[in-house]
Amino acid sequence: MPIVFACAASHAPGMTAWTEAAPKQQADNFLGAYRKLGERLAACKPDAIVTLTVEHWANFFLNSMPTFCIGRAEHYDGPVEEWLRIPKGRVPGDPQLSAKLIDGCLNGGFDPTFSDELLFDHATYLPLHFLNPNLSVPVVPVIINTLTAPMPTAKRCFAFGEILGQALRGSEKRVALIATGGLSHWPGEAQHGKINIPFDKQFLAHLLAGEHHRLTAYTHDEINREAGSGGHEIRTWIALAGAVQSWKAELIAYEPIVPWATGCGLVAFNP
Amino acid sequence: MSLYQVQKLLYHVNRDPERRQGYRRNASAFVKTYDLTETESAAILNLDVRALYAMGVHSLLLRPFTLLHNLSNEDYAKALKED
Repeated sequence: MPIVFACAASHAPGMTAWTEAAPKQQADNFLGAYRKLGERLAACKPDAIVTLTVEHWANFFLNSMPTFCIGRAEHYDGPVEEWLRIPKGRVPGDPQLSAKLIDGCLNGGFDPTFSDELLFDHATYLPLHFLNPNLSVPVVPVIINTLTAPMPTAKRCFAFGEILGQALRGSEKRVALIATGGLSHWPGEAQHGKINIPFDKQFLAHLLAGEHHRLTAYTHDEINREAGSGGHEIRTWIALAGAVQSWKAELIAYEPIVPWATGCGLVAFNP
Repeated sequence: MSLYQVQKLLYHVNRDPERRQGYRRNASAFVKTYDLTETESAAILNLDVRALYAMGVHSLLLRPFTLLHNLSNEDYAKALKED
């Protein structure tokens, strides 16, 4: 059975950890849209959620940094951040679907790491808090290294998404796909707080126009320069575009929220 | 120069409660268990944010480490911008 829902969403920790620091209208608009997107996800009655996600030193370090890693655990605990103001919880996994995705990758020209034990940090837990608030739908995390160079190219991330999409279309389960991260931000850097609105809008325009050749043309240096160290997370959005192919992107919200130090975007994809 | 060791120490203190306790109990002894130069040890022990950032410590290791020392957003930003 098919992919029944797909969206891409930012995961700035300020959304929950220091919500009230943002101008009220901006915060209400964005978080209201986030919750409504969660209602759309629920209405699609998915059997499982696959998150195209990243992490922030929650599981991996420089002794061994996987480029792509697929979680195969029975469950995932999180969030690791005590200060996120999201209650600790346990998210059910779907090892069977994980195995199917891993096989799909190995047969399709990708050799991801797999892991039977992963913690979720805000990158995965925060979107689930809004999109799967009761943690009722099992989750399979697919982690892309956007944390530390060298990272997979945009082109390779798109191709990875294509393979995942193929594997999911061959699954008997109804699957919701969530890409998480971006847009421009410089977390913990000297430029912390900067948001490159023109970059964000251009990226969204490429996504909405289905210009896949533009998405795959982004280089590491360009993203680093224009969207910051946190902007590398747009690779998850690019992978999602690869997974859903001809689906049309729909802009749900874009807010450059300075107190959250992030260009915050929400995009749904519709068949 | 052993940036890897500096980052490993920060990663351990950030993520591992037992090691964090060891660091808090006796930071001078704790840093000696890593292969660090004197400059690197001093930067950690003095919480010299600017020096750690300049040597290339990842911002998402550095900021959580400074949060454990209750460094405010304002003071962190100021430290990075100082020459």
